[in-house]
Amino acid sequence: MRTTTRGLLAALALGPLLTGCFVSDEGGSATDGAGGSGGRLKIALAVPPVQALSPYSNDATVLSKLSVAEGLTALNKDGAAAPALAKSWKQVNPTTWSFELRKATFQDGSDVTAESVVSALDHAGQAAPKPRVLSDVTLTAKADDADTVTLTTKAADPVLPLRLASPALGILAPKAYAKNGTVSPVGTGTGPFEITKLTGKTKATLDRFDGYWGGKAKAPGVDVTWIADGTARASALRGGDVDIAEWIPTAQAKLLDKDTRHEVPSVRTDSLVLNTGSGLFTDASLRAAAREAVDGGALVDSVFGGYADPAQGLFGPAVSWADDNRVAVSGRATATTAADVKTKTKGKTLRLATYTNRAELPEAATVLQQQLEKAGFTVKQDVREYTQMEADLLAGKYDALVFSRVTLLDTGDAVAYLASDYTSDGVYNIAGLKDPKVDQAIKSAAEEGDTERRQQQIMRAEAEILRTDAVVPLVYEKVVQGIATDVEGVLLDPRERSLVDVDTHVK
Amino acid sequence: MSAKSAGPDSRPPRWRAGAGRVVAGTALLTAVALLPWLSGTDPALTVLRARSADADPSPAQLAAVREQLDLDEGPFAHLAQWLGGLPRGDAGTSWVSGEPVLPEVTTAFAVSLTLMLGALVVTVAVAALVCARTLHLGSRRRLRQKRAGTGAAVLAALPKFLLASLLATVCGVWLGWFPSSGWAGPMSMVLPALALGVPSGAVIGGLLDQSLPAAFQEPWARTWHAYGFSPRHIARHALRRTLAGVLPQLLPTVVALVGGAVAVEKIFNIPGLGRLALDAAIAQDLPPLQTATLVLVLLGAAAGLLIQALRRVLLGPALRDGALPALYPPALARRRSTRWVAGFCALALLTLVVAGLLRDPLQVDTAARLLPPSAVHPLGTDSLGRDLLARLGHGALRTAGVALAVTAVSVVLGLLLGMATQVGAGLTEVVSTLPAVLAGLLTTAVTGPSVWGAAGAVCVVAWSPYAAQTAALLEQERASGHLLASLSFGAGPRYLLRHHYLPAVLPSVLRNALLRLPTTVLVLASLGFLGLGEQPPTPEWGRLLSENQPYVELAPWTVLGPACALVLLSVLAVAVSSGSVGVSGSASGRGRSRRRTGRTGRSGGRDVRHEEDVRLEKVVAAGMSPPPGSAPPPPSCRFRRPWPRGWSGWT
Repeated sequence: MRTTTRGLLAALALGPLLTGCFVSDEGGSATDGAGGSGGRLKIALAVPPVQALSPYSNDATVLSKLSVAEGLTALNKDGAAAPALAKSWKQVNPTTWSFELRKATFQDGSDVTAESVVSALDHAGQAAPKPRVLSDVTLTAKADDADTVTLTTKAADPVLPLRLASPALGILAPKAYAKNGTVSPVGTGTGPFEITKLTGKTKATLDRFDGYWGGKAKAPGVDVTWIADGTARASALRGGDVDIAEWIPTAQAKLLDKDTRHEVPSVRTDSLVLNTGSGLFTDASLRAAAREAVDGGALVDSVFGGYADPAQGLFGPAVSWADDNRVAVSGRATATTAADVKTKTKGKTLRLATYTNRAELPEAATVLQQQLEKAGFTVKQDVREYTQMEADLLAGKYDALVFSRVTLLDTGDAVAYLASDYTSDGVYNIAGLKDPKVDQAIKSAAEEGDTERRQQQIMRAEAEILRTDAVVPLVYEKVVQGIATDVEGVLLDPRERSLVDVDTHVK
Repeated sequence: MSAKSAGPDSRPPRWRAGAGRVVAGTALLTAVALLPWLSGTDPALTVLRARSADADPSPAQLAAVREQLDLDEGPFAHLAQWLGGLPRGDAGTSWVSGEPVLPEVTTAFAVSLTLMLGALVVTVAVAALVCARTLHLGSRRRLRQKRAGTGAAVLAALPKFLLASLLATVCGVWLGWFPSSGWAGPMSMVLPALALGVPSGAVIGGLLDQSLPAAFQEPWARTWHAYGFSPRHIARHALRRTLAGVLPQLLPTVVALVGGAVAVEKIFNIPGLGRLALDAAIAQDLPPLQTATLVLVLLGAAAGLLIQALRRVLLGPALRDGALPALYPPALARRRSTRWVAGFCALALLTLVVAGLLRDPLQVDTAARLLPPSAVHPLGTDSLGRDLLARLGHGALRTAGVALAVTAVSVVLGLLLGMATQVGAGLTEVVSTLPAVLAGLLTTAVTGPSVWGAAGAVCVVAWSPYAAQTAALLEQERASGHLLASLSFGAGPRYLLRHHYLPAVLPSVLRNALLRLPTTVLVLASLGFLGLGEQPPTPEWGRLLSENQPYVELAPWTVLGPACALVLLSVLAVAVSSGSVGVSGSASGRGRSRRRTGRTGRSGGRDVRHEEDVRLEKVVAAGMSPPPGSAPPPPSCRFRRPWPRGWSGWT
């Protein structure tokens, strides 16, 4: 019996080693301590793949961040469309565009042809549910000849070239599209890096694709690890496990060496959304009181640790044209004084919601609570995981929401955000805003074809929205990217669409 | 006849345990399958959100998802389809990713199981350290003073996620001894196994440490010592004797880590089953969630059977034949230091609470964030410049109150279910491995977010350690001779409960409950993201720890204060209970029997036990005395009833 006990103990002790099931490092990463992997980039990304890197999901940004797949166009620094797989394009008439393809090959060896582009765009259009970028447009693609594609839209779409830069409309080789509707970018992109292996939701291995039309990438490959926890991501960079760690939480940023942290203005704006549809804030003067009470500037140095800018409007410094075109807000309701707030609210509690997914928001909510209480409101917080409360948010069950929102969605165009969040038939209208003037302003911005005038229209719409006090901008977020000192050529993109390209390498 | 009912023959048939497992498992799986329909949150919306953070939740998009997943068919069609696929090794495809579920779940399970085995090794080592002193002294019969178990209480009170953060930072980042995250080889297992194993080991060790003196007090140990057997020998058999009662604790303490180590998995970026189940549950992605639940249910049942088998190997026929009396703690002198420790903890906590209550816990001052301790802020400030002392003080009553209430309810539930041995055993195994988060989600689905929801959800799962312990201890108690005697004198069930079952079980269960008190505080706070429990900014110790966790390295005092407070509370509870249990223990040993001498009839049970002890000793001394140095028969032989079954011919 004694031997049995010992045997059992031995089995228990050996168990971990014998049954050890680890996510194996493949390739040269076992030797990379000595730099033997020959300059492969090691990157820690924040959001693990949800659909095996399908371009029709969240994962699409991974494909563009790591230069795996490309669309017909790309966005340049100013957010304008630049050539990618299409070397040029022209607008034939308001609804028809013609794109001239460049000579390129897919990573599986086949050539990029007009046919393959048409097939890729058709698949995106038929995907269910539709990728967001195609939700407000009907797109028909036709191959004119081997390297010309004609795109027609049902209604005039002035931002079509911007749309095509969306990672969801990346062009993949025909073999990527399976019959059951799934799409696999493994070895089917056109970019300088080719995914060779995807290990669940934890790791991916990318090798250089030598046949890239834009020349050979400087780095021989990329090893991606997904680390969802921000602290763990920062630790991985500090411990030297990775060369690049994206999205370092502001609470951890101070712990990084100064020359490894890089701040990038982000297209995210944090704001306090007030529910104009029901509850306390149907009263415009109370909304004005809340707007006056709230001071986003107080959050910048505290909650955001300096990695934010106080917000004046919906669009921050990451939207380069916003500040020049900003329109002064006029015609706002006058605020109720603190003494009157108590009588006007009739003892009702302000239900302040926010979510735990972004670590800063619950802290911000607590600061705002104190500011609002000073103005005479009685505040009760409700903080949950986002999916736990989204249905309630859309149903207007809260009076106010501390919200972090991307203002340039995957169209790269600000109108999409304004339309879904602030028009009376907007599907993401948490503020419950129904204001004809706002609707009109957003509509005219959407119809404007000229880039500059469109930007002016957008800023006019912004002013209209701010006039209603349905939303009180708090801060423009900044993103902190952690980059080891021996890495060069990392792209610091406010739209969070690109990170690594042909020039990125380890010194 | 009545005597027989205590014997092994009348134990409920084995199939009931199996039925209990099946019923509990089925109920749980059905509840999980109904989750989206119970919660009233459209699964199409959660799935859409999980796939794409920016997707517009437009009716057309939601309809597309609904159609794609056949959500309109209702929960039972899905459950049937999923069950139908299982025999073919097909657990369906994930609603979010569209990938087959089984490979994903198997990989995650293998990872978590490996990690759990690692944690088990650490647990065993820590438990050994905790009870080493008692083992050393006891085997040499030098155990004079009662151990308070404060060391175990300190270790058991360490929050696992805090330990994990600390280890990752110090050993991972600063020293570079081990990888700070990832799952790439045995080296990356060391830190998470330590973070998980140390508090678990302290709980197990604390329980062993408490029951060991009783084993050394038994007649056989006395006799063996008198015969000059080596202390190692006696220690080994004393361990065998006590392990039988403690082993079932491994199930809710260590095996449960397979699905319940989400926080540590996150910190070390380990692709384990806990995270998989949590992600699936939040997205209401049923196929992976159901499969993960099934795996956990099967694991619980398998581990339960394995532990049962281990106990049989350890104790052999004695357990089977029901010839092991329960262990009774000896009347040892209380250490004076225990009283000092208790006094110190009480004073410190009292000071903390009083000083804290005089301050404002909600005053946000963004200019004074993360200030180190000073005269103005004796414990420093948190990331919003709130005074930590004030938050600790104001949170104390609420935290301790809710945790104690939850523990009390769980203990009562555990006692009740533990007494319903066979049916309860199946249920206990199933619930043991159920992660609290899943219970929380099911609770939210039924009740909606509420202040009492967290307490309710924790009660749903927290009773399992106590039920397992009760069942194990009762199995011994039912077998004991004095119980047999009581029965033969015509004792009724109420008498048995009051004078035999509860005294045999309560001290150990109480110690267990108090060792787990800090864990309860943390689990309660961990459900906050579901909207369960008090909402921020209400101060509460668990929340203080979790909301300050990101600042561990930048401002260690933000977590040091709450962690120390938790340790103080835990040590105080254990020290006080060790004092009071010591008194009741001695009462059950000597006091009560003395009080009852001279009484006749039903109350004679206790006296008989002493006669039995004496008798056993005589048997051992007369019949089985081996020559010194030769291997003695295992203790189980010695406890074999020297009288025929059903014999009640003494009075």
